[in-house]
Amino acid sequence: MIEAMELTKVFNEFIAVRNLSFQVNPGEIYGLLGPNGSGKTTTMRMLLGLLQPTAGSARISGHDIREEIVAAKRVMGYVPEEPVLPERLTGWEYIHYISDIWRVPRSPEREDDIQELMNLLDISDASDDLIETYSKGMSRKISLVAALIHKPTVLILDELQAGIDPRGAATMKEILNGLRERGATILMSTHILEIAERMCDRIGIIDEGELIAEGTMEELRTKAKGQSSLEEIFLSLTGGPDMQLIAQYLGESA
Amino acid sequence: MLLLLREDLTRSFRLRNAKGKRTEKRGLLKRVSNFAIPVIVSGALLWGVLAIAPMFWDLIESYISENLGMGAAIFNAVLLISFIGSIMISATTVGNSSKMEYLLITPIKMRTIFLEKTIIIIFYNSLIWMMIGVPLFLGLSIVSPFAFALLSVPAFIVTLLILITIGVSAGGLVGLGVARAVAGRRALKQIGTAIMSAVAIIGTTLWYVSFYTNSWNDGPNPFDALFDLADSLGFTSILTPGYTVSSVSLGLLIGAPWRWQDLLSVSLFLVLGVGMVLLNSYVSEMAHYSGWLASDATRTSKEAIRKEHGTWNPRSFPGLKLSNIVTASMWFTITSVRRDARVITNYLLGPIRFAIWLILPGLAFGAELGGITSYFILAALIPFATSYGLYFAGYELVYEGKNIMNLQLAATNLEEYVRGKVYSAVPFAIIASIIVSLIVLFISPLMWVYLPAVLVACAFLCMASGGIAANEAAKGGDFKADRSITRQRGASVRTPLRGWSSIRASLVPYAIGYAGVFGMILAGVFFGVLYTYAILPVFVLFCWRLTTHYTRKAGLKLAQIDATKYL
Repeated sequence: MIEAMELTKVFNEFIAVRNLSFQVNPGEIYGLLGPNGSGKTTTMRMLLGLLQPTAGSARISGHDIREEIVAAKRVMGYVPEEPVLPERLTGWEYIHYISDIWRVPRSPEREDDIQELMNLLDISDASDDLIETYSKGMSRKISLVAALIHKPTVLILDELQAGIDPRGAATMKEILNGLRERGATILMSTHILEIAERMCDRIGIIDEGELIAEGTMEELRTKAKGQSSLEEIFLSLTGGPDMQLIAQYLGESA
Repeated sequence: MLLLLREDLTRSFRLRNAKGKRTEKRGLLKRVSNFAIPVIVSGALLWGVLAIAPMFWDLIESYISENLGMGAAIFNAVLLISFIGSIMISATTVGNSSKMEYLLITPIKMRTIFLEKTIIIIFYNSLIWMMIGVPLFLGLSIVSPFAFALLSVPAFIVTLLILITIGVSAGGLVGLGVARAVAGRRALKQIGTAIMSAVAIIGTTLWYVSFYTNSWNDGPNPFDALFDLADSLGFTSILTPGYTVSSVSLGLLIGAPWRWQDLLSVSLFLVLGVGMVLLNSYVSEMAHYSGWLASDATRTSKEAIRKEHGTWNPRSFPGLKLSNIVTASMWFTITSVRRDARVITNYLLGPIRFAIWLILPGLAFGAELGGITSYFILAALIPFATSYGLYFAGYELVYEGKNIMNLQLAATNLEEYVRGKVYSAVPFAIIASIIVSLIVLFISPLMWVYLPAVLVACAFLCMASGGIAANEAAKGGDFKADRSITRQRGASVRTPLRGWSSIRASLVPYAIGYAGVFGMILAGVFFGVLYTYAILPVFVLFCWRLTTHYTRKAGLKLAQIDATKYL
């Protein structure tokens, strides 16, 4: 379970996240949506123990992120938006190295798990290549393998499916659905509203560091006064495009 | 911690190639050299000591026994080098902590990760000194007739590690202190590099000064000035870690009686080292976790503000009308260099090292060679003019990499783009020329008659050098190269031009510069100053022809590169 309570992060004078509270339950996929720079990644980084909250607190499976961050990290898996990986290791070496750090016992079962995940994500063929030769999508896939190898109960995924081929995206979706069914807690941010609409049990919309709406799709529809698609709901809550400026631009460039 | 250490060391000393088909293979020589070079150097040193030391052992023994602290200055210098180097390394390690995110999210305390990185830095810092020191001590201890002489080797290793731990940790803390004061990852890297480069340049200058002044005054004894300087700075004090390393390890070598003071200082410095390295990892954790190193965003408000900007008009040379492509290229080059202190410090100050070699003989010999001192200084202008051309038009063209390929696909006139790069070096060459001219005027006012000619010649030489470098870059540039002026462990500058291209881009402009500029001046000296100004237009025209010829060739070659290989 993820519990964020009044989380706030201030950089100098810039308030990146403001009194953010939400909860993600086991067996639930929670989508965090918001415009660019709205504070989604900062929120995730605080939950992961990478950034110290200026105020507020959070608990991961009951572990306070300030007091028991190592215990909290032990149950978490994370795939960043832009994974930075050790380029001089091969994919296979990297996953084994990460498995050792996560204290996954060296056993045939571990080998099988890694092989299975790599096969599933179509990166088995490149497992002996140095990571520096990987494409963006492959780096993301290897990051997902690294995030899953210790069988986390809480998954935090930042724009997981961006830059992934359709087959890879579909595989990832099935994996996440399966993990949800097994009781995993999944927090994901995405800009692909269609994915959020189809996959997430609940959605939180964050804008300017504040949670401006939260609920199931039905609840959000009600809040957005009958807007039917998530895109319409999102735009009605965070503000749509400036039609006047667009018309002005098109008029000038015509 | 052990896992992290193993992974870092495996990566650096990897002997076998990775297997995959997409892997970029490294040659056997390159892989083996990490091991082979230290082994060969150490073996040669050991052989040398074993061959020579027995003949002079009595002399060595009596000298060491009378001067147990004689290595203090050297070891304290090692301490100072570790300290200075680590300011920079702390900047790159903690500053680049976002690149270690895959580790920071693992269930290991952040401070443990930073501690491991510091230990690795200490290890790499000590390697070079171990490579020299261990064979020396081993050789001398074999030659030494004293029973416990062999213990000097582990004593040297342990005390040296303590010394470097103190230096690295102190440097790291200073780097982090700067980060706290001027919050921001970028500022930390910038300041770390600027300090590092400035100190390196001052250090080399002192070295050269001592070399030249001592050669002239007292015969070939270049170390005296440095030792005097070290003494006056307290480097030979018995209270320093360097003295302890020297006293303990050399004492064992000659069977000197154990002193309780030595044991006490080793223990004290050990506690200090361990304490500082732990403090360093704790502060590193705070620097990352608290957000000290957050990017230097200027946003302070959440309100949507539509900023108004002035008209886009990158400045070019006053009075010259240049095309948009040329001015955009100049703007891009100067801006990307200017915004990275690492790059601008290295580019602007880099040629100084070479220039010092040329200037100092003149200064050192002073009155003896008074007449030619100014010529030596003028000669120092040439490395500036040619280096700026090479850096701005050669290196920067290659570092632009993918962008150049995008421009090629967009059918940009690449000849004009290259010309912009060449021109972007000229203001820097002119500023350097003016500074050097002022020095020449101060030393030898009568030289003023040559200065306008040299200034003009250097500006055009810079352009010719840029044209040649751009052409070589287009032929032999590694367009995938990163502009990594400094790497994690302080590796030196890496040229992005391959093989002969790199050599031609450096040497040809030098040859043209020295022949041309000195030809002009010598003509003035022997036949009258008017001859200098008579030759100047010829030299200018020659340089201009080279510039246009090679920028055109570079543009054509860039247009013919298979851009898809890089995109």
